[in-house]
Amino acid sequence: MIEINNLVKRYGDKKAVNGISFTVNDDEVLGFLGPNGAGKTTTMNIITGYLSSTSGTVKVNGHDILEEPELAKKEIGYLPENPPLYTDMTVSEYLDFICDLKGVSKEERKSQLEKIINMVKISDVEDRLIANLSKGYKQRVGIAQALVGNPSILILDEPTVGLDPNQIIEIRRLIKNLSKTHSIIISSHILSEIQEIADRVVIINRGKIAAVDTLTDLSKRLSGQSKVLLTFTGPVKDCAAKIRNISGIISAVPRAIDSKYAQLEIAIDAKDTAGVRISIFNLMAKEGWPILELRSLDPSLEEVFLNITSGKGRS
Amino acid sequence: MYAIFKREFLSYFRSPVGYVAIAIFSFLSGFIFYAQFSDGAVNIGSEVIALRSFFVVIVPIITMGLLSEDKKRGTDILYYTTPVSLFNVVVGKVLAAFTLYVVMFLNVIIHIFVTIGFGGTFGIGSFGTIVVFFFMAFMFISIGLFASAITDSQIISAIVSFIIILFTQLISQFAGYIGTAVNSIASSLGIKEGLASSMGIAIKNAVAWLDPFAKTQDFRLGIFSVSALVFLVSVGVLFLYLTFRVLEKKRWSQS
Repeated sequence: MIEINNLVKRYGDKKAVNGISFTVNDDEVLGFLGPNGAGKTTTMNIITGYLSSTSGTVKVNGHDILEEPELAKKEIGYLPENPPLYTDMTVSEYLDFICDLKGVSKEERKSQLEKIINMVKISDVEDRLIANLSKGYKQRVGIAQALVGNPSILILDEPTVGLDPNQIIEIRRLIKNLSKTHSIIISSHILSEIQEIADRVVIINRGKIAAVDTLTDLSKRLSGQSKVLLTFTGPVKDCAAKIRNISGIISAVPRAIDSKYAQLEIAIDAKDTAGVRISIFNLMAKEGWPILELRSLDPSLEEVFLNITSGKGRS
Repeated sequence: MYAIFKREFLSYFRSPVGYVAIAIFSFLSGFIFYAQFSDGAVNIGSEVIALRSFFVVIVPIITMGLLSEDKKRGTDILYYTTPVSLFNVVVGKVLAAFTLYVVMFLNVIIHIFVTIGFGGTFGIGSFGTIVVFFFMAFMFISIGLFASAITDSQIISAIVSFIIILFTQLISQFAGYIGTAVNSIASSLGIKEGLASSMGIAIKNAVAWLDPFAKTQDFRLGIFSVSALVFLVSVGVLFLYLTFRVLEKKRWSQS
């Protein structure tokens, strides 16, 4: 568990991080989002002890990162944006060095490294120089490095940046696996990735927290309603009028109209979307207007993100 | 500490640096020994003293990458985010460079055996110069490590340590210049001739006091001066402390 309280980091006159507070619970994946220069990496660097904050505290499983740094750092595995790799070492030499740094005892070392190497799938490159590895493998070695010492918390700064789609899927799968046994803070530019992995999201903008919430609540809170797009064949105006009569419907606005089909954009009160959708289906069946498609228009994380970071829709 | 030491020491042999340093040192010591040997008058003491003047070349080579490379690669983040302390990082790195010096020095050990084998002598004075050699190596390596901490460029680090070490070798000359300058400035300001010249001499002596080579001259005569060794260790420790502060400052940096 990480408790972050009122974190401020000042660079001259500029506050890179300005009063950030949030908590990461055990075995939770927290997505950390924000545009470039929002203070994501700075915050992560402070949590891991690389930088110190101007004011505010970070507690890792109850240990303050400044007052009990060695205990706190034992709990954290950190993968910075550029993995800290010694390119002149082989993978196994490097991981051995990391074990030395983190004080992993000789007895534990073998079994722990074996487990990690299998988990991140780097057993086939163990004896190769890190300099000669592909970017995907380097990233995996970076994750392996973070896992050494069995930390309960993983902090991953843009772990999939610069990887090809296959590698991204594999790393994502790996992170999902790890989330069963670790608390994870993950930052990323790829919003769909966060959507897939994270339980909760913290969005920061210009050094301040813009939103903290679960993803579904976040989209609902922003719009206050759920939207669906109905595509069908039939008279648009009649249909819109009849649909407006269903209870729970806020509005029904015609969209694109074609000779073959019509579209309605329907806003539903977020309380009972399933019931309302059933009513729509029954109505359309009764009137003999075949539904071609009924699609949710809930804002994607991209829209939520753009809304929040551009200053709109802040609550 | 051991982790850092082991990595740094082995990394000398993962790149050409360790081999280059050993090659230069072996060539120089071999050449000096050969010259003495062919004259039929081998003195290990003067060989070691001659080797001291090459600190200025060898120390920058072996210390330039110690911390600057970490910064460039981004691996310094490991020192801050793992339970290892910065103090241990600094000590581990110094030990690695120092150990490389010990390895290089094995060449001179061979010369000692050859000398004794051919009926030459290895006296207390020669032993004294070796003691001084290692204390100086420690001091200069600390200076080199400091130069490596203040930049992320190996070249700049090498140049800075080269200049500092060169300065220590020329310090007695500089002391004379500075003394003369102070003397003439003082007299041009209207201070009495006698006072001005004694001011010049005082400044000259103060600067010359810093000369590590003059301080340790007596060792070759078999006179072990503890104060000289304390001086070398103090300067070394001072630069280690400065290095430590530079590393620590990074965390608190406000710019």
